[in-house]
Amino acid sequence: MKFIKNHLMFILPLMAILLGVEFYLVFDRTTDSYERGLKEGYSMLVITKKPFSLYQLQKLNSHISNSEKIKRENIVSEIAKGVSKSNEKKILNALPHFYSVHLSEYLGTSKLKQIKRDLEKDKNIKNVETFGSSYSSSYRLFSFIKFSLKIFIVFMAVVSLFLIIKQMEIWKYAHKQRMQVMEIFGAPLMLRSGVLFKVAIVDAILATIFTSLFFLYLKFKWADNSGIDMMMQNKEELFKMTDIGILLGTALLIVIIAVYSVVFTTKGVEE
Amino acid sequence: MSNVISASHLTLAYDDGAKEVIKDATFSIKKGEFVFITGPSGSGKSTLLKSLYGQIKASSGNLVVGGLDLAVARQSKLQDLRTHMGIIFQDYKLVNEWTVAKNVVLPLMIAGYSVEVQNTQAQRLLKHVKLSEHADKYPLELSGGEQQRVGVARALAKNPVVILADEPTGNLDDYSSNVIWDLMENACQQLETTVLVVTHKIPSIFSLPYRHFIIENKGVYEVH
Repeated sequence: MKFIKNHLMFILPLMAILLGVEFYLVFDRTTDSYERGLKEGYSMLVITKKPFSLYQLQKLNSHISNSEKIKRENIVSEIAKGVSKSNEKKILNALPHFYSVHLSEYLGTSKLKQIKRDLEKDKNIKNVETFGSSYSSSYRLFSFIKFSLKIFIVFMAVVSLFLIIKQMEIWKYAHKQRMQVMEIFGAPLMLRSGVLFKVAIVDAILATIFTSLFFLYLKFKWADNSGIDMMMQNKEELFKMTDIGILLGTALLIVIIAVYSVVFTTKGVEE
Repeated sequence: MSNVISASHLTLAYDDGAKEVIKDATFSIKKGEFVFITGPSGSGKSTLLKSLYGQIKASSGNLVVGGLDLAVARQSKLQDLRTHMGIIFQDYKLVNEWTVAKNVVLPLMIAGYSVEVQNTQAQRLLKHVKLSEHADKYPLELSGGEQQRVGVARALAKNPVVILADEPTGNLDDYSSNVIWDLMENACQQLETTVLVVTHKIPSIFSLPYRHFIIENKGVYEVH
C-alpha cells in the first residue's frame, strides 16, 4: 500500500505536467487550423483609382497574400438598371476598382491598421476597409481563450512541480540512510542513486502511458460523441504518435532533474 | 613496514576554520598495527576518524592515507580509497531495508563482484561472526550486539587495508563487546589489517600489542 502510495505521489503530479504539455500541443494544433479558417475567411476591401496587380499590393505591405478583383460589371448592372448602354459604359468608366485582399496570417487590429496606412500611402488607392470591428471581436475572443488556457497550463505545471519537489523531500528522507552508507563505503554516484533512477524512470514511463491512454481515449471514443464540431473536425489533431516521444522526453527530463536534486543534496554522514 | 596513515601538522576545524578541534597533530600508523584513540567526550576523536576516510578535510597540514594525500585527492580517488577501508560505527549504519546478507556484502557490491561471489562471501562472513541463521533477516530484527557483528562482517568483507571503528562497543553489553573485540583482534592478527579504534576506554580483555593515542587540548599524543 505504502509502495503504491509512494509511486502515485510522484506519478500524479508528473501526469498533471504531461497533461498540461499535451493539452498545449493539442490546443496549439487545433487552434492553428481554426486560426487558418479565420484567416482564410477574412478579407479587406481595397478601392483603387486604377488597376492594381497582386505584386503591386504586396510591395506596399508584405502581409498581403492574395487579391481578387471584384467585377465592376456586376456592380454597374445592379446600379444602372434601365439606363442606356452608353450611359452604363460611362458609369463603368467612372467607377473605381475593387479588390478583395487576403492576408498571409492571422493578425491583430494594430497590424490591420498598419496595413491600411501602408496601402493608403499610395495616391492611387482611394480607400481601404478592414472591417476591423467584427474582425477585432473574434480575434480578441480567440486571443483571450488562448491566453487563458496557456495561463492555466502554466499554473498547473507550477503547482505540479511543487508537488514533485515535495515528493523529492520524501524520497530524500526515505533513501538518505542507504545513500549515505553507500557513499561512506565508496559507491560512485550512479550506483548509490541507481535505485532512485529505476523508480523514477518506471514512474516516468507509467505517467507517459497513462497520459497517452487518456488522450487516445479522447481521440477514438470521446471526440466522435462529443457533439463539438471543432473536436469532431480536428479529431486527428487530438493525439499524434509523435506526442508519446515528447511526453516521455519531458517526463524523463523532469525525473532526471528530480533524482539529481535528491542525490546531490544527500551527502555525507550525519554529524 | 610502510605507513598506512601519516599525519603531519594536521589541523581539523569546523565552521570554516573558526572552531578548531585538532591542532598541529603529527603521527603515523604502520600496516598491521592496532591503535586505540581515547579522549574525553567532544575532544575530537570522531572528527579525527572522519578525516581519515575523507569525510572532513584538513584545515591545514597533511594527511596521507593508503598513499593518498587527502587534502588534494579527487572525489573518484577518495571513493576508491574508501573501497579499501572497513568502517564501523557506534550506531552500526546498516541499511534497514536490506537483509543482513545484503548489508554484509555492500563493499563487494560496490566493487562489482558477481552475485555468486557475493552470496558465497555473505555465507562465509556471517559464519565468521556467528550470524549464519540471520542472513535473511533485516537489521531491525536483530539485537544491538548482533547488528554490530553485521557491521564488523561488512567491514571485513573485502579484506580491507585499514579498519576504522568509531566507538564500536559504545552501545553494547559486555558480552557483545567482547565478541566485537575478538573479531577485530582476529582481523588484525590474521589479515594484517591496520585497525584504528576510537573509544572511551581500552578493553581490559584486550590481548594484542597495541598503540594508544590520546586526544587532549586539541593535541594528539602517544601514550607509551
